Formats: sequence, structure tokens, C-alpha cells
Amino acid sequence: MSDDLSRDDYLWTAAGEPDPEIARLEALLAPYAHRGTLPPLPARAPRRRALHVVLPIVTAAASLALVIAAAWFTSTARPPGSWSVQSLAGAPAVAGSPIAGPSRLAVGQALTTDAQSRARIAVGEIGRVDVEPNSRVRLIRSRPGEHRMALDRGRIAAQIWAPPRYFFVTTPSATAIDLGCAYTLDVDAAGAGMIRVTHGWVAFEYEGRESFIPQGAVCATRPGFGPGTPRFADAPARLERALPVLDFSALADPRRAAALADLLASARARDALTLWHLLSRGTPEERAKVYDRLVTLVPPPASASREAVLRADRRALDDWWNELGLDSASWWRVWKSPWRE
Amino acid sequence: MSDVLPTVELVADGTTAFPAGPRVVRFADGHAADDGRLVRAAREGDRAAFSSLYERYARVVHGLLLARVGRDNVEDLVQDVFLTAWRRLDDLRDPAAFGGWIVMITRNRAMDFHRRTAEFVELPENLPVPGGAAERADAHAALEAIRALPEAYRETLMLRLVEGLSGPEIATRTGLTPASVRVNLHRGMKLLREKLQR
Repeated sequence: MSDDLSRDDYLWTAAGEPDPEIARLEALLAPYAHRGTLPPLPARAPRRRALHVVLPIVTAAASLALVIAAAWFTSTARPPGSWSVQSLAGAPAVAGSPIAGPSRLAVGQALTTDAQSRARIAVGEIGRVDVEPNSRVRLIRSRPGEHRMALDRGRIAAQIWAPPRYFFVTTPSATAIDLGCAYTLDVDAAGAGMIRVTHGWVAFEYEGRESFIPQGAVCATRPGFGPGTPRFADAPARLERALPVLDFSALADPRRAAALADLLASARARDALTLWHLLSRGTPEERAKVYDRLVTLVPPPASASREAVLRADRRALDDWWNELGLDSASWWRVWKSPWRE
Repeated sequence: MSDVLPTVELVADGTTAFPAGPRVVRFADGHAADDGRLVRAAREGDRAAFSSLYERYARVVHGLLLARVGRDNVEDLVQDVFLTAWRRLDDLRDPAAFGGWIVMITRNRAMDFHRRTAEFVELPENLPVPGGAAERADAHAALEAIRALPEAYRETLMLRLVEGLSGPEIATRTGLTPASVRVNLHRGMKLLREKLQR
């Protein structure tokens, strides 16, 4: 490839000696470039002003808002912070009462489906959640900037189109944090879960243990352990079988050595996602073996020395992550801070 | 292979080994600091500051949308994205992360568009592209060929060939590493040449 790269100087810099074919394409495609202008912006209230200036205005506005809100809520009989729910099949129940038509799920209430029923929840204006049969969900919080529900058991399919970190699903063993995505999440009777991401990214977190799951990947979670290690859905069967042993067993479990050997031997370059997560899990010996294998799949940058990675240096791990071809680590560092720090 | 290039496995059908996700966000320090200053001013209602953010990111937003939705909807969606950003500036916890944030809004808006319209809106052939019929047909074919590429290549080439950004500019504004952008441009261009020669 390096021989071709020299031809790509113009492609890279957009300056200097033009490559004739690229220049032709630029000329052909230039009319499609952005030509628009910023639309008129609606008025935006200043965020901070001296209190003595705004207090009377705020007081008057608040009084008016209270009157309007009271009238509105009275007229619509819509519980504040509630989500609309509709039945997709059968008779799902809200707070124990079967619903047939459109209904509301209020904070603190549970929506349950039996073997024949399904329901769709509109999550404010940011997305929707389909609740599959034999499931129980609860609305924990719904306010601008944060929508949080619990999946106690069963399956949901979520599609969220808000910016990241607006939507959270709490399960008995981990919290799923939406990073702009679509996914399904299963929780069994024992509280064990499995997430499958079909678009975008999801973060899975529990008591400091976290996994970042891109589209096409899955991740299990178990009570007492938290989220396991993500893997792509098409990962080799040997890797798939080995992962639960490493994720959900005691560090002294004698099965771990064989499981790790199997996983490392079967890992493809694409499974760097899995190996990268394992760099900061398990025993020091296990992490060293993971390092040695990952080096052969995705060469680390200079900053990710063996010593730095094995002491879990965040920058070293981030820099290596950035070489995986998934995404820059900095973006999820940005988004995760609100729930970690 | 050059040692500046990260290993990105290609599978037989030409798609990247890793799925394209929300690639966002590492900006040069000065660039991010400028964004942060503009966001803070815009939060106070400063339209000129927000207009500067628009100037910085409109082509990126436009290019990412053009890679995902029909061209006749792109300009409207660009406006939607920036109006959403204007309304929700207070939700952005780190003002310096504006670039990553608006790229994420853009991708989510495109996903929402597909969710609502259910099917891809094909590019009409009667677009107002200057030149003769043959030139219009060539332009249409080139755009469709780019859109048929794997996502990582499609977006990068759209920003380079349509929006006119250089490789370093693409890296700065999308948060991709320069090496990744260079790989995407190189491999994407190779695939594009092959497609256009068929």
C-alpha cells in the first residue's frame, strides 16, 4: 500500500499537484457541497443574570407557569414525567391494570406483559422502547436530559435518537447507558442480562466496571459481577464459549487458564474489541497474555508500552483503543463522566 | 504497509472489519478551546458565536448527512441539526466537546430520518447540477458510488471530495485520528476507482 500512498498526497492535503482523477471528481461533485445558511434562530434566554435583576421576572413567570401548568395537567389528566404507552399485542398491564388503548406510565409504575402481550413506550421525545412478552419494566425518572427505566425481567428493544447519555436502563446487574443507538436487552429471572447493539454504541456499567459495546456486538452481565466483556456477534465459537468463564468466575477458578488460551488462540483482528477490554480485567498474568496476543493483532502506539498497559495507565489504554479502528476514546470519556464522576 | 497506518482488517466484501460507529471527537487543543468559548457565548444568547460554530461545522454535518440520506432532504436536516444544537446547548456538559456532540446529533438525526421515512430516499436524477446531461450523469454516478462504499470510507470521501475538506481538516473536525482518515481516504478512493471503472 505504501507505494500507492505517495500518489495520495493530493487526496490527503487537497493542495499541490492535483491527481487528475481526483480533481475531476472534485469538479463533478462540487455542486453537491454545502451551500446553505444558518436558519433564523429562535430567541434564547440568557442562562445567568444577576439575581436581583431577574428574580422579579422569574417569580412572575413562575407564577404564570404554575397556573398554566396546573390548567394543562388538569385538562389532559397526564401525570407529569409520564410516558405514553400503547398495546402492540394482547393486554399489557400498567400498575396491574390491563390496557387496551393508549395509556400512560407514570414514575414509579410498572408495565408488565404476559406471554401474549407486547407494548410500545414513547420515551418522551427521544425514542421508543418496545416491551416484549413476559417482561416487566418500571419508569424511574423522566425529565429533560434524563430518562431512566428499569428492566426487571424480559426483553426490550430500544431505539433512541437523542444525544448520548439521555437514556438509561437499569437492570439487576448493570446499567445500560445509551450513547445514541438501537439495541435489545434481555434480563432473565436470575437477573442476568444480555445486550445486543444494532446501531451506534451502548455503555454497560456497574460499580466502576464498564464495557463499551458497538453495533454488531453483544455483552452479557451477571449479578455480583456486573458487565462482562463485549464481543462481536460473529466471534468464533471458541471465543464465545471462553468469555463467560473469564467474565463470571472467581480469579482462582482452574478453568480460566484453558479458557483464556482458547480465547486468545481463536481471536481475530476484529476481536481486538474483546481483547482490549480484557487488558484491564483478570489477574496480572492473564492481562500479560492478553497484551502479548493483542500486540500481534493491532500494533500498539508507542505510548502503549507493555509496562504502561499492564499497570492500566488510562492514556496508554486510550491510545491503543484509538488504533482499533472503532472510535476515538475521547468521545466516550466525554460522555461517561456524568455518570462516573 | 506504511508504519503510520493502523491495522484495519478488510473482509472479502470490502467492508471494514470494525463496524462504523459514532466516530467523534479528539480535536486539537486550540480548536476545542475555541469551540468552548463560542459555546459559552452562544449559551448566553450570542447568535454570532453560534454562527461561527455553524461556519466551522456546517460542511461536516452536511457531508455526514449526504452520506446517509437523500440529497433533497439534506439541507433541511442540516438546519434541524443546528436548531437542535441551539436549543440544547445547555445540555452539553463540556463546551469544548461541541464537535463530537454535533456529529453525534447528526448521526442520530439521520437515523431518526430513516426510522420515520422507513426507506432510503433515492437521489433524483434531475438535480440542479451544472453542465450537460453527460456531466450530470457522471456526477450522479460518482455520488452513488461513494454512497455504496462502507460507511467509514463513505463519510470520509464525502467530506473530502464533496465538501472539499483536506485530510487534516477531516481529522480535526470529526475527531478521527489523522492516520485513520488517511487510511479511510486511501482505501475508500481505491474502492471508488474500482467501482467507477466497472
